[in-house]
Amino acid sequence: MTAAQVHETISEETVRQISDELDEPDWLLETRLDALAALDDLEMPDVIRTPGRDWTNLHALDFEEFVDPLNAAEDKDQIGPDEVEVLPFAEAVAEREDLLREQFGSVIDPEENYLVALSTALFSTGTVVYVPENVDAEDVTIRTTQNSRSLFNYTLVVTEQSSSVTILERQDTGESVDGERYYSGVVEIAAGENSHVQYGSLQDLDEETYNYALKRGDAADYATVNWVDGNLGSRLTKSSVETNLDGEGSETKTVGAFFGHDDQHFDIAARVWHNTAHTTADLVTRGVLDDEARSVYEGVQDVGREAWDTNSYQRENTLMLSDESEADASPKLIINNHDTEASHSATVGQIDEEDMFYMTSRALGDETARNMLVEGFFVPVLEEIEVEELRDDLAARVRERLQ
Amino acid sequence: MSSEQDQLKQTNTEERFEFKKEERSAVRSDKGLTEEVVRLISDDKDEPDWMLDRRLRALEHWQEMPMPTDWPGQPDLTELNVEEIVPYIRPDVDKRSGADSWEDLPDEIQDTFEKLGIPDAEREALSGVGAQYESEVVYQNMQERWEEKGVVFMNMDKAVQEHPDLVKEHFMTSCVPPSDNKFAALHGAVWSGGSFVYVPEDVTVNMPVQAYFRMNSEGMGQFEHTLIIAEPGSEVHYIEGCSAPKYGTHNLHSGGVEVFVGEDAHVQYSTVQNWSKNTFNLNTKRAIVEKGGRMEWISGSMGSKATMLYPCSILKGREASANNITIAFAGEGQNIDTGAKVYHNAPNTKSTIESKSISKDGGRTNYRGLVHISEGAENSSTSVECDALMFDNESTSDTMPYMEIDESKVDVAHEATVGKIGDEDVFYLQSRGLDDDDAKQMIVSGFIEPITEELPIEYAVELNRLIELEMEGSLG
Repeated sequence: MTAAQVHETISEETVRQISDELDEPDWLLETRLDALAALDDLEMPDVIRTPGRDWTNLHALDFEEFVDPLNAAEDKDQIGPDEVEVLPFAEAVAEREDLLREQFGSVIDPEENYLVALSTALFSTGTVVYVPENVDAEDVTIRTTQNSRSLFNYTLVVTEQSSSVTILERQDTGESVDGERYYSGVVEIAAGENSHVQYGSLQDLDEETYNYALKRGDAADYATVNWVDGNLGSRLTKSSVETNLDGEGSETKTVGAFFGHDDQHFDIAARVWHNTAHTTADLVTRGVLDDEARSVYEGVQDVGREAWDTNSYQRENTLMLSDESEADASPKLIINNHDTEASHSATVGQIDEEDMFYMTSRALGDETARNMLVEGFFVPVLEEIEVEELRDDLAARVRERLQ
Repeated sequence: MSSEQDQLKQTNTEERFEFKKEERSAVRSDKGLTEEVVRLISDDKDEPDWMLDRRLRALEHWQEMPMPTDWPGQPDLTELNVEEIVPYIRPDVDKRSGADSWEDLPDEIQDTFEKLGIPDAEREALSGVGAQYESEVVYQNMQERWEEKGVVFMNMDKAVQEHPDLVKEHFMTSCVPPSDNKFAALHGAVWSGGSFVYVPEDVTVNMPVQAYFRMNSEGMGQFEHTLIIAEPGSEVHYIEGCSAPKYGTHNLHSGGVEVFVGEDAHVQYSTVQNWSKNTFNLNTKRAIVEKGGRMEWISGSMGSKATMLYPCSILKGREASANNITIAFAGEGQNIDTGAKVYHNAPNTKSTIESKSISKDGGRTNYRGLVHISEGAENSSTSVECDALMFDNESTSDTMPYMEIDESKVDVAHEATVGKIGDEDVFYLQSRGLDDDDAKQMIVSGFIEPITEELPIEYAVELNRLIELEMEGSLG
């Protein structure tokens, strides 16, 4: 089944107008128009199905209602140290067309699925981060505040040999809009040989916003791509964080955290493909669900035929605070090379009664005790976050939500 | 060691499993799945109309339902052409619905089961035995003392005639309806043979009953149906074994198993599957477990070209529990896709799933399992452990668990590991004087030991022996 047709006003003309405002070269306009034309034949991103159930129903999304690309509006901060190029997309088009031409769509196929193609056709804002050889850079920060009904964002990170960078990208919503909204973000990271990237993301959109996020990194020889993916906001999030370990000795660590309440729905995936020898992956996700919130987690560790000497680990833990919530999980191992050490584990449960008893016996009230235990539950993932600002922000947002 | 175990140690697999007998059938249906074939089967069994109606409804489901093709990593079913399968062959035996003496069977059938060690096992360790050859149960016997206690162990076709009320109520209604999946629908249309087991309240059948299923003819399908009703407080252990000689064309086995576990009853269902490597083995097995009842599924999947098997327990009453133990061994050309399903639909229910899989010489194993905890099933717990051992770089090992947790007061844990057979372990054993093959065999035996120790000794020996044969590459 192909996805529903979007609003008639999303026409070739719309796409041309967006591309024109960014003063894009023909090849990029063509890429967008091809993606628009492909929409009819593309499928929605995969969702997990078990007998009688779809874990997330993307077909219920009403694109006609909330896609309005020509009125896109946002506030944006794009800051970084001098030795790194941190370019708003229009500037990147003007100054680094060569780089864009080489890297745009090199990690994520612009027509990979319906929602990616929609993003390719309609994105109006974005950031390009370029880290030259041997440069070590910290504190690249990107903040996008969505002020319109829909916003399509694009991020490209390119690191040259033996460089390193930490990036923090945040999404939130500003001026309120009547009804539902849509935010779509595509992130491509091309990590050069022996480079080190930590990309952290904190999604804190308002709870009328539907969110699609696809983030993928390709790691060259001895490169490291580390992710932190925090999800707090949105009404429904479909997010996948993915790494291709293409280079020998490359590594990834993916750290995920989510906290759902009310009727939020998080469909979170962490995926890694071990494509060559001596690669290592560690996927760690922790989530808390309150009220009627629902989480869907898929973790994929795919070890290819040529991936000798692989180490691959995955852990997922969900804490349920409410009987009305639901946690679904499917951690998958796909192992095609026997020279592998792989494991995964997943747990779902409530707050441990003995822990509660201990805390309350120390004269803490029930709620205080519960809140401390929830904060404590996130500590193992917080400890994995290198960027202090992100660690503090995430801890603060968890605390806020508990209040 | 008993003579049975000597028999099981027999190394000549040609003699043990792969011998072929000339086909001598009394009735043989056409190939394919048509209304004519379904009517022929029903007519040949002189079935009541209600059973024919159920078959025809199942046929409609079969015709309407698509083949399962969109499961991630599933076995390739494109080579399975059901239109080329002969679904019904009634062997030429004098007595319909099972002789009670092996001597009454034609020589070639008697010889078949003797080679498989069934009469020996019957004498030594079993309460009752059923033996199915092609589409029909040819031998059925149970010790008299169980009959006196009201235990019923009979061929399913006969149960349709003799226990119509029980069968009508339980046969492919609430447990495995034909609409459940494409192959359950197929099964519902052309089922033949299998066992009916009824254990009255508070009766404990202390020795297992066993059924053995043998497919002898090329290109046939076997579709036996097993219905077990364990009344409150009763206990029974049912064991099934199966095998077939290898042919160039495909055979199909699509069994249906329904188990009703009454309050505080306990049913153990053990399967040692050794179909030949041209067989598609696509089964539906399910139990409904009432309050305090316990269901145990133990499955060893060694044979077949492709297996899709996920024994399911529906924990319907409080404190019901399910244990699944599954061993899969996939060698060259085999794809063993197996696991377990558990639905926790009541409070204080428990389940455990232990899976061990071994892949070798390009074989592919996949653990696929689902644990569902419904809202309100508080204080339920489930633990899933999957371990996989890989022999070489041509093989594949997948693990695909699904957990749906709709209740917060639960304890859910899943763990899986995959690794290669350790060079150091092999080296160590070699340094103790074992050759490479023996060392690997010993490591595999150790790997599956936590599971084999749960089996009755005869079956543990059988399973170990099959694995040895598999490791030697000597099973067809």
